[in-house]
Amino acid sequence: MIEVKEPRRPIPIVGSISGMVNVARHLFRKPVTVQYPEEKPILPQRFRARIFLRLDDCVGCTLCEQVCPNNSITMQLVDRENPRNKRKIYPDVNFGTCTVCRNCEEICPTDAIYLTHVFETSRTRNSFTYSPQELALQENEVKK
Amino acid sequence: MSEFVELNFGPQHPSTHGVLRLKAKLDGEIIRELEPVIGYLHRDAEKLCELTFYADNLILFDRMDYVGSMLMESGYLEAAEKILSIDPPERAQWIRVVMNELSRIAAHLVWAGAFGLDLGMLTPFFYCFAERDKILDIFTEICGTRQETNYMSIGGVYQDITPEIMDHILEFTETFPKRLEEIYKLFVKNDVFISRNKGIGVLDRETAIDYGVTGPMLRASGVNYDVRKAKPYLVYDKVNFEVPVSYKGDNLARFLVRFEELRQSVKIVREAVKKIPDGPHFNPKAKKPMMIRLRGDGEYYARTESAKGEFGVYIVGDGGVKPYRVRVRSPTFKNLSVLPVLAKDQMIADMVAISGTLDLVFGEIDR
Amino acid sequence: MSLYSRLVGLFSPLGNLPSEALSYIAESLIMIIIATLGLAFMIYLFRKFMARLQLRIGPNRVGKFGLLQVVADGLKLAGKESIFPKGRDDLPYRVAPLIGMVGLILAFAVLPYGSLFWVGTVTIFDASGTSVSVILLFAIIAIMPIGEVLAGISSRNKYALLGSLRSIAKDVSFEVPMMISVLAVVMMASARTAYPLSINSIVTTEILPYGILEPLGIFVFMVSMVARASYTPFDMGESDSELITGYSTEYSGMRFAMFYMGLFGSILLGSFMVSLFYLGGFNGPLDSSLGVVWLVIKALILVLISFTIWLSMPRIRIDKFVNLGWKYLLPLSMINLILSGILTLGMGW
Repeated sequence: MIEVKEPRRPIPIVGSISGMVNVARHLFRKPVTVQYPEEKPILPQRFRARIFLRLDDCVGCTLCEQVCPNNSITMQLVDRENPRNKRKIYPDVNFGTCTVCRNCEEICPTDAIYLTHVFETSRTRNSFTYSPQELALQENEVKK
Repeated sequence: MSEFVELNFGPQHPSTHGVLRLKAKLDGEIIRELEPVIGYLHRDAEKLCELTFYADNLILFDRMDYVGSMLMESGYLEAAEKILSIDPPERAQWIRVVMNELSRIAAHLVWAGAFGLDLGMLTPFFYCFAERDKILDIFTEICGTRQETNYMSIGGVYQDITPEIMDHILEFTETFPKRLEEIYKLFVKNDVFISRNKGIGVLDRETAIDYGVTGPMLRASGVNYDVRKAKPYLVYDKVNFEVPVSYKGDNLARFLVRFEELRQSVKIVREAVKKIPDGPHFNPKAKKPMMIRLRGDGEYYARTESAKGEFGVYIVGDGGVKPYRVRVRSPTFKNLSVLPVLAKDQMIADMVAISGTLDLVFGEIDR
Repeated sequence: MSLYSRLVGLFSPLGNLPSEALSYIAESLIMIIIATLGLAFMIYLFRKFMARLQLRIGPNRVGKFGLLQVVADGLKLAGKESIFPKGRDDLPYRVAPLIGMVGLILAFAVLPYGSLFWVGTVTIFDASGTSVSVILLFAIIAIMPIGEVLAGISSRNKYALLGSLRSIAKDVSFEVPMMISVLAVVMMASARTAYPLSINSIVTTEILPYGILEPLGIFVFMVSMVARASYTPFDMGESDSELITGYSTEYSGMRFAMFYMGLFGSILLGSFMVSLFYLGGFNGPLDSSLGVVWLVIKALILVLISFTIWLSMPRIRIDKFVNLGWKYLLPLSMINLILSGILTLGMGW
């Protein structure tokens, strides 16, 4: 335990002027702003945003659907030949409610569903939900 | 008797951090009666916790004290891991301590900036947020998101800490104290700031204890109580730090205690990063495909020291995969309840300053 | 040769009286346009300066370096709906923003600006018209608080009412020390000029800037000017964290923009007044034909100092400010008056 000591009472005008000088010194410091569309920030390795899906790896175990905290993931029937996915169900993701909590990636037993660096996923209101096939595509190939 | 002017502060008002509404009865500039009205950010998190798995509840706790989300996560896991009887390995505990303290720094920086704004200082806010951004960058590196981290998992942490991240944290602890002193001087060298805070909103020891005030507010009133020291959790008993205490109880004391806590947190981070042992970063009993099948039984109340005060989580399990009942003891709610006492017969300007020192975060009060 | 006489020469074919009248109007218009442009530049400068102090970049999207940002903001505000609150007192509510603005622009017309190369002396009322421009200037400045008061009591809002109450308390407590500190300047000038109430003659006849002779006077006047423009630390009337925006809470659209410009105009006006009364105004080390340049440089430095004060200080409490006004500034200005009396009579300055 330490007792915090109160600072000495500043001299009325001088203290304020020292504060002004302190603030004015920042005039010569580099701004911290990153001007987004022109300069892109360097994203760390683990930055996570958009969900991708490897259709071949998905076994249709529905764990991701169960773990999703706000029910963004629902399983869809997709007519597709995959020996590992006999029930032919794959997850789709509603990005309108997805909070990128990464629980689906953590729980996936085959690493089929995973999150990526892609974060420019703006789209219109009616197309928030990505179908399983769209989850496997790159962002620019998905219909907006 | 003379009639008072009734004035509503908020919920949309620049000084009510978030959605606090204050019903004030004014006698000229002086507040005769004050009644906080809360509930504008109520999301029913405690009930939602009963509907989801133990592992999923973390993201609900992230959104309680959203400026210090790591502290909330570790507070929940203290209780949940006891219910599920899964102990985190040593390495995970050290990582959690580092992240807790970084999160505490971030939370206190947000408070310092907003407190400056309450008093009319526009500039410190940006300096505080520029520093906080570096912490959020570290969080992004380690877990991928800035604020709602969802980093700690049942039985450890989701991702391991790497040497590069440890270097970045150490680099931050090198540069941060200098900036912190700069911000500190910006405040305390200013005599207007001192005159606005010294002797204003004095909270004496008895009142503080009666109202259940905890955290920096309690310590500023002269009670040496910190959960990290009183009932050490994680590995807080293995790191060296001091608990700052002041006996003045006024706004300035609360300000100084929080700034001293910032310095102590930097000290803890610096020490804990170097002490992180080798080993697994999560308990193999809680391996990832199992995370929705963990069953808990019994009840447990865990106390942790969040940035605002004693954060308590009470969980009752009935043997299922979802908790039977989750109850949160929110420190900010208790701290807010003392505002009518502090603000009585104070001027409007002082009331704003006092509510600034309470460090209100509404995600936590309303839950 | 002054701008006025040039204009008279330009309009001379119209006859004697019409040309004088027209040149007065033309010069006033020029002054108003320059003052408005100055205001717009002030807002740009403030935003850019504030951004750089706060480690940001500031406006940089509209025009080169964001120079047209103020124009864009002005257009946006002009296009917005002016919301009229229910239960307002209609006429005062509509008139209040105009009063402040008119007072401000008129005050700019009274100031002497010195001379500029071939244009000559840029002065409207001072050199050729009245010889009591100090009184005229302070009379015009005294109009501006009326707008704040009317806005506060007419908009039927408790925040606005509290804001205007605070404004009145603030105005009452700083106006007296301000006038007394100007009185000291007039008193010192009266030893040297026959027209000590004309700002032009005060500035032209000074030997040393009065700020050096009266350090107390410049301090009191500077504090008063900060309070006049009402920015932090003395923005109790419109304190954004307590009373939202004080007396202008209910205003929107162009009417709000007028209050906003009034704030920046007051800073510019205050800087001009401090530099004229205390820092030698348009007197400079070089040729006197650079007068306007010297004045603008001095005013700009004062403006930047004002901005730094604004950004680095917390807000003072209203009762403490009233204390400051009556218990510190008033005695200080009295001491300053006595000291300058001793300087004038005893030392013969």
